[in-house]
Amino acid sequence: MTSNIETIPGFRITKSLGVATGSTVRAKHIGKDILAGLKNIVGGELKAYTELLMEARTEALGRMMMDAGQRGANGVVNVRFATSSVAGGAAELFAYGTAVVIEQE
Amino acid sequence: MYDFTSESIALLIVYLIIAVFILFFPLAFIYSMLFGWIHQSGRQKKLLAREQKVAGIVGGDNIHTLSKPINLEQISQCGLVMTNITVAPSWWQLFLGGIKSIFGGQIQSFEKVLAFGRGEVMQRLREQALGEGWSEVINVRVETSMVMNKVKGGQQNKLGTLEFVAYGTGIR
Repeated sequence: MTSNIETIPGFRITKSLGVATGSTVRAKHIGKDILAGLKNIVGGELKAYTELLMEARTEALGRMMMDAGQRGANGVVNVRFATSSVAGGAAELFAYGTAVVIEQE
Repeated sequence: MYDFTSESIALLIVYLIIAVFILFFPLAFIYSMLFGWIHQSGRQKKLLAREQKVAGIVGGDNIHTLSKPINLEQISQCGLVMTNITVAPSWWQLFLGGIKSIFGGQIQSFEKVLAFGRGEVMQRLREQALGEGWSEVINVRVETSMVMNKVKGGQQNKLGTLEFVAYGTGIR
């Protein structure tokens, strides 16, 4: 179970297993870039980018969960997201949190 | 004789492509200036209607920024809820913003884009929480990033693409 608060409501944290991290680097398709430029004429949402970034962020979260799983955790608390842009239109999406062992109260 | 015509047709096509490229950008800019506001106000109306619909179902708001639940007492399950949106100003709004940024001060055209993006991402979080069956979303955070901008020699690109992320802990 994951949460972005310090505890998991209804559960007790018995052990902390350090920071679990997951990241992915994605770049956009050049064709999508041109299409986005055209969509930009009237402004608004750029669906291609929204989907790409969501996909990437879900993957970063998945890798974080895998890292936590390898540490023997069954929950991640205080999850944070960070994004940074790498040269050439690529973006790094990073998710991190504290891997913990939880049990029902 | 046959060769001559096929060559001239090829030449004509090349000229046409060049003409389209030269004419396209000014025409698109004029379209953005004249009709951009119709698209923008349409989006705002849709967003408002969706907000009212969710408010009608939930009877208030199902997302908040506190780290403790307000209404719920017994929690059986929790999980991360996350949505995003990428928005960009229209060509006309970019142009206006560019002129305004010479003199400084309040830039209304960008304010509108940001307000829309943030409103939309929060609304999506509400809808997703409703769809996944969470009764409340606590500790909601909204982040803004400019991830999809190219960095060329220290200068960012002119598209002005912005990404909003909203996430929180869903409980039920």
